[in-house]
Amino acid sequence: MKNNEIQQRLRQEAKTLLEQGQVEYIVGYETGSLKFTTTPLLTKNKDDTDRLIVNPFIVNNLSVYLTEIKGKVGIVAKGCDSRSVVSLIQDNKIAREDIVIMGIPCPGLIDLKKVELLLSKDRDELGNITRDEDRVVITIDGKGRDFPITEVLFDNCLECQIPTPQEYDILLGEPTTPISGNVSKRTNIKELEATPREERWNFWKEEFSRCIRCYACRNVCPACFCQRCFVEESEPQWILPTPKWQDNLIFQVIRNIHVAGRCTDCGECERVCPMNIPLRSLTRKMYEIVDELFQYKAGMDKNALPLLTAYEPTEAEDFIR
Amino acid sequence: MKQELGWEPKLLGFLCRWCSYAGADLAGISRKKYPANIEVIRVPCSGRVDPLFIIKALRLGFDGVLVSGCYPGDCHYQTGNYRARRRMAITKKFLEYIGIEPQRIQASWVSASEGGKFAEVVTAVTKELKEIEHNQLFADEK
Repeated sequence: MKNNEIQQRLRQEAKTLLEQGQVEYIVGYETGSLKFTTTPLLTKNKDDTDRLIVNPFIVNNLSVYLTEIKGKVGIVAKGCDSRSVVSLIQDNKIAREDIVIMGIPCPGLIDLKKVELLLSKDRDELGNITRDEDRVVITIDGKGRDFPITEVLFDNCLECQIPTPQEYDILLGEPTTPISGNVSKRTNIKELEATPREERWNFWKEEFSRCIRCYACRNVCPACFCQRCFVEESEPQWILPTPKWQDNLIFQVIRNIHVAGRCTDCGECERVCPMNIPLRSLTRKMYEIVDELFQYKAGMDKNALPLLTAYEPTEAEDFIR
Repeated sequence: MKQELGWEPKLLGFLCRWCSYAGADLAGISRKKYPANIEVIRVPCSGRVDPLFIIKALRLGFDGVLVSGCYPGDCHYQTGNYRARRRMAITKKFLEYIGIEPQRIQASWVSASEGGKFAEVVTAVTKELKEIEHNQLFADEK
């Protein structure tokens, strides 16, 4: 199914949900204020559903809003987002019956930063970006240029193994398969692991020296749902408010440990980072550790216990004296 | 970096109130010898230990952290140590990945009757910590 067919169906479904009173709110995407971008749309009004869109730029993980909305919600969710929703259900943050998931089988999203880098042009200079299966056509000054889609997709989309929503009430479109022949450009986990310990530490020290502790990564993360984060505690004050690298590093490392088993590798933290810190090299590593140790992937089963609540009588003993 | 002469590692222990703390107590009562490098914080359960405590201890200059609790199946609160185990497992792997020596993060099961084991654990951990550098991880105050 093409994007505009999916979009048409989404608008209908959303309108019906509001009209029939099945949900109080719809959370989806609408056209953003900057070229190509989209922005979240939260609405109670059935006429607004005509503004809902589906295109390769629907980047936000909307499940982050769910814990803040009271009442039944119809939410547009891509593969990774739907798993974030399930993860919130597992943690009892939301009830399954309060959510109508309108799932979108996600063929991957286009990273505008990559497009700009690829063409050395600002997004405002570009005419159109259209995706056709595994190719993308970008028009500049009326001339179309053709690239493999893998050149412009987000890294986490290239690495995504579960593009179709796991849990949904309405599936908009046919289930889709992971992108084949993928190459990750930015997560340098393997390279990092091959370097000596001091170099790894120095790498992160350098990266977190840039961090301005804006907390965008935390605020955009659906797994970071604490009412009060440890960084804001004053007794004891775990880290100082000034963005020193030590405290920046502690913040991010502990954030990663706290969201272990909830992080679905949606890549939002890295996308929103204004300092371009390769946060997915942390989150993705944690995702892999969790999978390796406990064969657990976040948000796959709404009835499963959360990772750090569940246990087996014997497991992961080898490091304990 | 050269270790300064007579340098002794500083170890912080989080001991569970029901087993390991009593085990440490028994080690003392039984006059077991073990290095005086450990400072102890008593916690209600090993499950109380947030990985934040561990990295904060390293930030404050401790060379290593030991989390010790009841054996699996013996937890006073039924499941606290199972949860601690999962948490410690991911913490250890993750901190190693970002570049913290694995020797700095230690865990053990010590029951209330194992004064001897407690002494052994502290001895072994202290020995391991002496083999790696003094904790300079967070020292660069730039």
